Amino acid sequence: MTQTVVVAVDAGGADAGPAEVSRAAELAAAEHGVRVLLFGPASALGTATPNVEVHDAPLSIAKHPDPVRAVRAHPEASVVQAVRAVAEGRADALVAGGSTGAALAAGLFRIKRAPGVHRPALAMRVPAPDHPFLMLDVGANTAVRPEHLVQFAHMGSAYAELLLGLESPRVALLSNGEEATKGSEDVVAAHALLGQASAGLNFIGNVEGFGIATGAADVIVCDGFTGNVVIKMMEGASSALMGAIRGAAEQGARFRLGGLLLRPALRGVREAVDPERQGGAMLLGLRKPVVVPHGSFGARGIAAAVGLAARAVREDLGGRTHAALEAGGALRTREVTSAAPGSLPGIRDSR
Amino acid sequence: MIQTHLADELELDPARVEESTHFKNDLDADSLDLYTLVQELEDTYGVIMSDEQAAGILTVGQAVDFVLAHAPAQRP
Repeated sequence: MTQTVVVAVDAGGADAGPAEVSRAAELAAAEHGVRVLLFGPASALGTATPNVEVHDAPLSIAKHPDPVRAVRAHPEASVVQAVRAVAEGRADALVAGGSTGAALAAGLFRIKRAPGVHRPALAMRVPAPDHPFLMLDVGANTAVRPEHLVQFAHMGSAYAELLLGLESPRVALLSNGEEATKGSEDVVAAHALLGQASAGLNFIGNVEGFGIATGAADVIVCDGFTGNVVIKMMEGASSALMGAIRGAAEQGARFRLGGLLLRPALRGVREAVDPERQGGAMLLGLRKPVVVPHGSFGARGIAAAVGLAARAVREDLGGRTHAALEAGGALRTREVTSAAPGSLPGIRDSR
Repeated sequence: MIQTHLADELELDPARVEESTHFKNDLDADSLDLYTLVQELEDTYGVIMSDEQAAGILTVGQAVDFVLAHAPAQRP
């Protein structure tokens, strides 16, 4: 019999409040067969149940303007306690929504980077109609080096195999032109590195912005600043488009009737692109799985995040990403090959 | 030993890490990198470093000196 997966959940960051996260924990335990360690204000979390253990952690640092300092200064904070549970082996994975910065900092300090990884990257399944794809980094690193992008490509490919069920995902760099010479200095250098024989990676070159949502690639790699802007722009555009369709369908009886006829089909589209169904973004490159759901998620979305974390444990995502990096010769080494003079890999000003 | 540990954390050949190596100027380290190093030193050597003290650690030599001055006896 396989062991029950234990997921530590920070209840301090959700916009809807800790009680909503508590509901998500119950939902996740029932739907995904996991045990949840819930960290937040006990007064709002309710009583423990057989599969949900409540740990009183009233302090939330989710809205702190300097998450790195907050993580260090407040070891009693809910996210730090949840991370510690994972680092100490009391839980197998972490779910922490509401503050990517706090989850990243606490994860780096306590769970630590996986061996051979320069920087963790936040990977998100983007539910584009007919062409769901994986995008990374969507917010962990505002600036990256070419070797970081190379690692993101390998880790993203391994994650896409698991998440999207693809045998050989098509991996591309996001740039402003398809030619290998297009893009920033770092993107061009990463293209050159990825273009060399790279075992196990199906690198197809660059994709441009208009190829993102139309199935040009299965894994799109970029720095965290660009990725974050792209996914938020897509969310905004999608929301505006749905609103415009709704508005058009309400202008007159004939259109209302047409809208009624279309409603089942539109509902299917809306459900397919619903971000809550995706469960949030996975922080790849730490020693244990960390999932960061959107702060605005309700119980259903947070439960999906717990399910995603449990799946990463059960299907050994960490082992898969390490194997992909190793097979591609992309594990970090002490040999400095592509760093600029006076600078070194893994260390970069991310202003 | 501390210097070797720092080199490992910085992904460098220990021979390339000198006491005068400046975290920000020479290694282009950002605040998250530095705090990760500080956390590693705290966890490994049992030292406690305030944010103010951490802000004053600019070079590898200063980090080594801090650990030597503040590490409890019998620590590794």
